[in-house]
Amino acid sequence: MPVISPSAFASPASKAANDLATLVPAALREKVRRLERANSVQRSGKAAAVPLGIAAIDALLPEGGLLTGALHEIEAGPCPSGRVAPHDGAALGFAAHLLGRFGPGTILWCRRPTGRFDAPPYASALSPWFDPARLLMVTAHRDEDLFWAMEEGLRCPGIAAVLGETRAADPTAGRRLSLAAEKNGVPALLLRAQPAPPQSVCATRWRIASAPSCSTPGLKDVGAARWRLELRRNRFGTPSAAETPSWLLEWNDETHCLAVVPQALHGSSGARFEERLVG
Amino acid sequence: MRLADARALLPDLVTVAGEPQADLRLIEAIAGWCDRYTPWVAIDPMGGALADDIEKTCSAGGFGGDAGLLLDVTGCTHLFGEGEAGERALLADLVTRLARRDLSCRAAMADTAGAAWALARFAERQADLFCPSRGQRDALGSLPVEGLRLDPPILEAFLKLGLRRIGDLYPMPRAPLARRFGNQPLNRLDQALGTLAEPIEPRRLPPAFRTRLAFAEPIGRAEDIAAATSRLLAALCRQFEQAGVGARQLEIALYRVDGSVDRTSIGTSRPNRDNPKLMKLFEERLGELDPGFGVELMILAAPEVEAWSGTQDALPDQNAPGIASGVDGMIDLADRLALRLGSENVVRLLSRDSHLPERVQVAAAVSSKPAAAGAWRRVASLKGARPTRLLQRPEPVEVTAFVPDDPPSVFHWRRHAHRIVRADGPERIANEWWRPRSDGTHPPAGTLPPVRDYYRVEDDDGGRFWLFRDGPYQLAANGHPTARWFLHGFCA
Repeated sequence: MPVISPSAFASPASKAANDLATLVPAALREKVRRLERANSVQRSGKAAAVPLGIAAIDALLPEGGLLTGALHEIEAGPCPSGRVAPHDGAALGFAAHLLGRFGPGTILWCRRPTGRFDAPPYASALSPWFDPARLLMVTAHRDEDLFWAMEEGLRCPGIAAVLGETRAADPTAGRRLSLAAEKNGVPALLLRAQPAPPQSVCATRWRIASAPSCSTPGLKDVGAARWRLELRRNRFGTPSAAETPSWLLEWNDETHCLAVVPQALHGSSGARFEERLVG
Repeated sequence: MRLADARALLPDLVTVAGEPQADLRLIEAIAGWCDRYTPWVAIDPMGGALADDIEKTCSAGGFGGDAGLLLDVTGCTHLFGEGEAGERALLADLVTRLARRDLSCRAAMADTAGAAWALARFAERQADLFCPSRGQRDALGSLPVEGLRLDPPILEAFLKLGLRRIGDLYPMPRAPLARRFGNQPLNRLDQALGTLAEPIEPRRLPPAFRTRLAFAEPIGRAEDIAAATSRLLAALCRQFEQAGVGARQLEIALYRVDGSVDRTSIGTSRPNRDNPKLMKLFEERLGELDPGFGVELMILAAPEVEAWSGTQDALPDQNAPGIASGVDGMIDLADRLALRLGSENVVRLLSRDSHLPERVQVAAAVSSKPAAAGAWRRVASLKGARPTRLLQRPEPVEVTAFVPDDPPSVFHWRRHAHRIVRADGPERIANEWWRPRSDGTHPPAGTLPPVRDYYRVEDDDGGRFWLFRDGPYQLAANGHPTARWFLHGFCA
């Protein structure tokens, strides 16, 4: 019985194209990509990227910050002990921090309530990051409606950013969102309460888990919120030494600033105070 | 005649049970179809089919086929021709179209509803059904007095007195007639002759703005319907501009060849007369319309308009027609989203001065005034630390605490134990005694309002939660603590 291999049917032309794809250096492709992006961003007249305000992270990101015309994924990671995170409060905080960095205008927040425990975002706690009066809250009861609403929002010129809260991972929808974001220079964020299969098209993917905070020495109070942040995908950025770069961040709710906790202060009870001196 | 008597006379009699509800549905459908002639359509309250009590049915009324519709076609007949020719053409069109659907009807036209009512029921010759303008006195003179829509006792008395024709009443002195029979006969006569106004209450409130488009051939393709909608919309927007208003709601009705009507409507959150924007909203909805075997007429109406509040109309943008930026763009976006998702699902958040965390945040319609800049920051600065997510309904949790008034050391939620390492609190929030309780009653005077003690806690995994104890710690008679614990939110 003769065995026919699929490659026997491949035409010479497609074979050549395959070879070409491997031959063209990654740097050149990246350059073309950058030119295309610059073109679309220029048309929308907006900044290409917005810095996070954390030097260590911005250094890794393309154009020194988070690309505006792109899709970004934020997901709640498991607890340090390996347990599934009971809630995505930390991921929500980080998403709110990102939303606050993007330009002025309406923020479209689309969510799909799931399960018995519906916990919508609480505007009063988001006000340190951005003015909740800018929020336009959309509730969708189906995933296709949610993605449709996000896409409509991305096409609307008065919108600063679009955030979607869903558990669904739809590659087609992700691709459409990414294209719409790129075309209009409006950032699209996907917030997930549980890790999901990654969108192949997202520019960055972040995983955030809450980390133990630092009490005042001698007391047992809840300190400033600390998050373990992982940059699990960085499509256009500079490669880092570590496979998945990771930082311990602290959100100071008095000075309203997010900063990396220096390695020396991890777990130290005096971290909160000394870090303020450093910062 | 009783049914038994009738059967005795004619044993082969075919009987069908009366179905007043079905009759009513049919007459409603015909009335809806009649919207094609005029928006001012009323179901005749004197119609026999709709009178629920047989005794109350007026003398001229009967059953079934005696139902009537009143159409006020003032200002509508020019669509069928100039002057009287148009009026005649409308009447003929109405009758032929209904006849084509196997609905036999008698339609009469006169200056007054009363005269038309009498002619439709009692005119002997076909030519009499059309009463020329100001000709009702002559037309009614020879008709039987039943045509005046009188109550049965009065009618009976008239017949006994030999007043058989409406014309017999013309020479009668009015005062004795009124003294003997009350005001009804004279009022009915005056209404029929046009000296007394008779308001007709339309079935649906006629919209102030309305455009119609009739087709020579029925259309059915979605593209044709969209093109027709666009033309109707352009005409309607011109009307809006002249009147200085904008639409809050638009309704499009497709009159299908089989006589049924399909309607759909769109709403906007502020007065709008921007043709491309409204068309964009319609495009969402047109897909739901079913043209059936074909559409012969389309009517676009604005049931709800508001004074135009917008600025001067912008010059059309060649690159992006129908897309505005800034606040306008946001409201347009909200309209589009609300059309598909429901307006209750597209909201903005307003702050409310309250101590209860679940009452602080209010979802408001997009058209409402947004919260002032910094209002939220002020609300947040007045209160203690708040969670980034608030559970809509607090979740009961099981708690272990070393000391009753301390924050818990362990709490169980969703079958997981969370060992608490750090805690802040308590923050005591009392119920608002000045507001009635959820069941509408006020708490009795002298009782303390229920209080909640909130704690912000962190478990050994770094997860931060917002818990509260429902009321102060107390021991019930059986030795168990009365206070219950709830989880109310998740902190960043």
